[in-house]
Amino acid sequence: MKIYLFISLFISTLVCSFTLQANTLIDANWIVQQVNSRDEGEAVSRQLTMTMIDRSGKKRVRETQAFRKYFGDEKRTAIFYETPKNIKDTAFLTYDYANKNKDDDQWLYLPAMRRVRRISAADRGDYFLGTDFTYEEIKLETKISVDDYNHRTLKSKYIEGIDYYVIESVPKNSHVAKELGYSKLESYIDKNIWITRKAIYWDTKGNLLKTITFTDIRLIQNIWTAHQIKVVNYKTEHTTEFIFKNVNYDQVISNKIFTQQTLKRGL
Amino acid sequence: MNTLNKTKTSALLWWLTGNPKKVLLSGLLAILFFTAFLPQLTMDPEAESFLPKDSPALIYRQQVEDIFGLNDPMVIAVTNEGKNGIFNPDSIELIHWLTQKVLAMPAVNQERVISLTTEDNISGNAEGLVVEPFVDELPISQQQADGLAQHVFDFPLYVGSIVSKDASTSLIVIELTDDANGPALYESLLALVAEAPIKQNEVLHVAGDGAVSGYLSTYIVTDASRLVPLSVIIITLLCFFAFRTVQGTLLPGIVILAAATSAMGVMSAMGDPIYVITTSMPILLVGIAVADSIHIMSEYYEQRAAQPELSQRLLVIDATQKMWRPIVLTTVTSMIGFFGVYLSSYMPPMQAFGIYSMLGLAIAGIYSLCVVPACLMLMPAGDSSAFKSKNNTIKNDIFSTFMTTIGKLVLARAKTVLTLSLILAGAGIYGAMNLSVNESWVDNFKKTELIYQADVAINATMNGTSNLDIVVSTHEKEGLFKPENLHKIEKLQDFVERFDVVGGSTSIADYIKQMNRSLNENKPSEYRIPNDENLISQYFLLYAASGDPTDFEEEIDYDYQQALVRVQLTNGRLQSFKPVVEALQVYINNEFNDTHIKASLSGRVYVDYEWLTNLVDSHFKGVALALLLVWLVACLAFKSIGTGSLALVPVMLSTLAIYAFMGAAGITLAVGTTMTAAIGLGIGIDFAVHTIERVKVLIKSHTAELHEPDELNKVQIDSILLQLFPSTGRALLFNFFAVFLGFGVLGLSYVPPLAKLGMLIAFAVSISFIVSITVLPALIKIFQPRFLGFQQDKNHIALALNEATIESSHAHQEKA
Repeated sequence: MKIYLFISLFISTLVCSFTLQANTLIDANWIVQQVNSRDEGEAVSRQLTMTMIDRSGKKRVRETQAFRKYFGDEKRTAIFYETPKNIKDTAFLTYDYANKNKDDDQWLYLPAMRRVRRISAADRGDYFLGTDFTYEEIKLETKISVDDYNHRTLKSKYIEGIDYYVIESVPKNSHVAKELGYSKLESYIDKNIWITRKAIYWDTKGNLLKTITFTDIRLIQNIWTAHQIKVVNYKTEHTTEFIFKNVNYDQVISNKIFTQQTLKRGL
Repeated sequence: MNTLNKTKTSALLWWLTGNPKKVLLSGLLAILFFTAFLPQLTMDPEAESFLPKDSPALIYRQQVEDIFGLNDPMVIAVTNEGKNGIFNPDSIELIHWLTQKVLAMPAVNQERVISLTTEDNISGNAEGLVVEPFVDELPISQQQADGLAQHVFDFPLYVGSIVSKDASTSLIVIELTDDANGPALYESLLALVAEAPIKQNEVLHVAGDGAVSGYLSTYIVTDASRLVPLSVIIITLLCFFAFRTVQGTLLPGIVILAAATSAMGVMSAMGDPIYVITTSMPILLVGIAVADSIHIMSEYYEQRAAQPELSQRLLVIDATQKMWRPIVLTTVTSMIGFFGVYLSSYMPPMQAFGIYSMLGLAIAGIYSLCVVPACLMLMPAGDSSAFKSKNNTIKNDIFSTFMTTIGKLVLARAKTVLTLSLILAGAGIYGAMNLSVNESWVDNFKKTELIYQADVAINATMNGTSNLDIVVSTHEKEGLFKPENLHKIEKLQDFVERFDVVGGSTSIADYIKQMNRSLNENKPSEYRIPNDENLISQYFLLYAASGDPTDFEEEIDYDYQQALVRVQLTNGRLQSFKPVVEALQVYINNEFNDTHIKASLSGRVYVDYEWLTNLVDSHFKGVALALLLVWLVACLAFKSIGTGSLALVPVMLSTLAIYAFMGAAGITLAVGTTMTAAIGLGIGIDFAVHTIERVKVLIKSHTAELHEPDELNKVQIDSILLQLFPSTGRALLFNFFAVFLGFGVLGLSYVPPLAKLGMLIAFAVSISFIVSITVLPALIKIFQPRFLGFQQDKNHIALALNEATIESSHAHQEKA
């Protein structure tokens, strides 16, 4: 009998300690709020090198000049391709509206056709210009969606000198899950600077899909900025690497840059 | 054989019969030893296994598959025989239902499932390129379904590949994450199809290369586990009828077991997998291995009936010693047949088949000569009612009587027999000259199999299930943005699509044309390659704005340097695709021969072409080699070129008979049939060896009795030769039954190449047997060759021929 008593005592202690631990973890929604309220600057200009690598290790490298600016709640992004030669002067422009019911607008200028082409509203889970980022991820940058997911703090973790909160985000319903293409997402958030350093995604069948890592994080004009973002897609074995250079939040960026005229005329 | 050998043999036999327990125990231990390796056996049912692993065609194909991420897919075909074909709300819903179920299967690579409800349409509107699913929402009215049909038929790439030209059929193409799951997935797909909610006019099929190789391993295992016990039962029954004693029925079983386990066990130990063709090995060995013990047991029972006063040990030694020479000889010749297969073939499955069958036969010979005598000592067999009648005289049972009747008939009409054999030879030569190769992987299945019917159904309406790939490489990165290179690809496709057997072809050029058209108000005239390198590269960027990063993986490499042109053929048989492959080779050599652009062939069809075109060569090489070796061994054994050559007559006639038969029945040379001649030769020579051996003994004993050797007249010759039939003839008859039934069982196989192999060899040994007991005695009678012990002069032959002629005309008259 004594042994049973001992075992049940042991188990109840264990259960209690887990419950206590859970209680001591900070609310995930609060963490997400900290991440999302981090300063991103009203506008930014930067050089962006996109490197896409396929299963067999073959690379496509594209150098671009990229601009982003908030117009109130509306976010506009313009990307001008500089290399390779055959897509030089191609440019991409997008208007992300705060209003959820309004489809975002996207245009691509093809110099060989001398015409700005409107791209039909992409699904949020569609891939962005041959990269492993979805349009949704490009739009969110380092933020975490509040509307799409239910968040839960999994643990607090210390890895290689950095303290993280690990939060799990599950789409609120199957419709959202299907739209985004994920069934679950885990984010490793740096406790000190409220920036996501790693995010792991699972597809709608529950299989590991991809990992996004944010590295080379430096303070630029008082704003924490990741200079390298890498996506590894485990299903297609395709990877994408974004490297940012000459990040400038102070430069005055003309509103004109975000127009179809500039797209066509070039910088 | 010389006296030294004889004494050695008899010394061995004295020892064997003196230590029967030791011999039997070591025999059983060896069987256990071989059996221990069996559990590690693996299967390799892939068509690729027919080429050596280091074959350039195979290595190149693997590279191509790696570059373009290709895989052998499985396919579900949805057919609707109704007016609108599959374009009606119910069938689209069925396709959607199936696709969703397939996507949920764990073995399926979700990224690589293609169906009408997963694929995107590339179309254009006033502002830009639209890449969106064909079926965004399921159509609920016929009108909506018609709209979908219009979209699909407006996208030339999918017509023939996803939806048939007549709209009756649509495919769901499924790739696996791991090919090893093939058989299991095929079963799940069949189960899925069985439970699918099918409406009127709808039919479902499951097929595809992936399905074929996936199912084949299950199929051949089922087949073998049905046939092996069957052949054992038949052979055991045969032994029972031959000897009608427990020992006579069961002893050959040890030999069979040893032959089969040693061949399969050593194969396993050497790390060779089971190929489709080697699954037949145990069945064949059962039939061939039993023959030796039949001869020993026959001799034993015959001696026992003739000399009842001899001790058991002397009887056993005497019987074994008499059979020692012919058994060693026939074992060696049979092994040579398989050796011919091994030496002449460049295909690993056939090499394995040749070499391990040889081993099995050697073991069978050793067990027959060593373990069987030992067993006879341990379990002394009583008289066999087949050999001894109740009043203790030597009995001629129904089989002996039958053989004697045949003997009389043959000797009476020797010339007719020879004429008939010449006609057979003529027909055989004609057949051999017209021998052609044909083979398709799907021919591994019976025509009543679901998988075979699915293949036929899909090939009837779609672009085809057999792929021939052409890899076009440019010398620089992004070389395939250049219009001149894309035009070359376009022309290549035009060229190949002119062949009837080609259902269609796809390449990156088709997608570029579709994009160009979409961006030019969908005008049909704009379905062409634009003449601007930059524009083409920008199309890809534009496409990427809505497509997936890996979308064109199967058509073009990531550097835009290599493109894959996939040609689909509606028939996977060599005779159908050979002209296409050869014409393409010439076309490529002429058009893709500069430093800027090159092309080479690959794909399943090309791999098949590579190994099948060499089949005729390898076949005749194998036959010639086996024939030469068998002849050499026979000459050496009989120490006479004449006797050796005479022994070759039955097998040469049987080989020619196979060709005649193949020609008459329209059977082509293929995986199964290519080995028949060499194997049939190796086995068939046994009958001639036994016949000649006995004739020599008979002539020797008779001429010794005569004072004047020249006195041997026609009547005497007949009576000498007739003695051949009741004893040797009877043993040969059972030997023939055993081999015939062994291969005949294989004829019942559900795997058509094996069934054909079995039937043809059964046919070949029948001819060898018949010729050995008819043509050989007829030849001997007419020519009375000196090398057999006849004291002849020229007049004798003339006389004999003359008599034979008179005789056969007599026979004709009588008949009339």
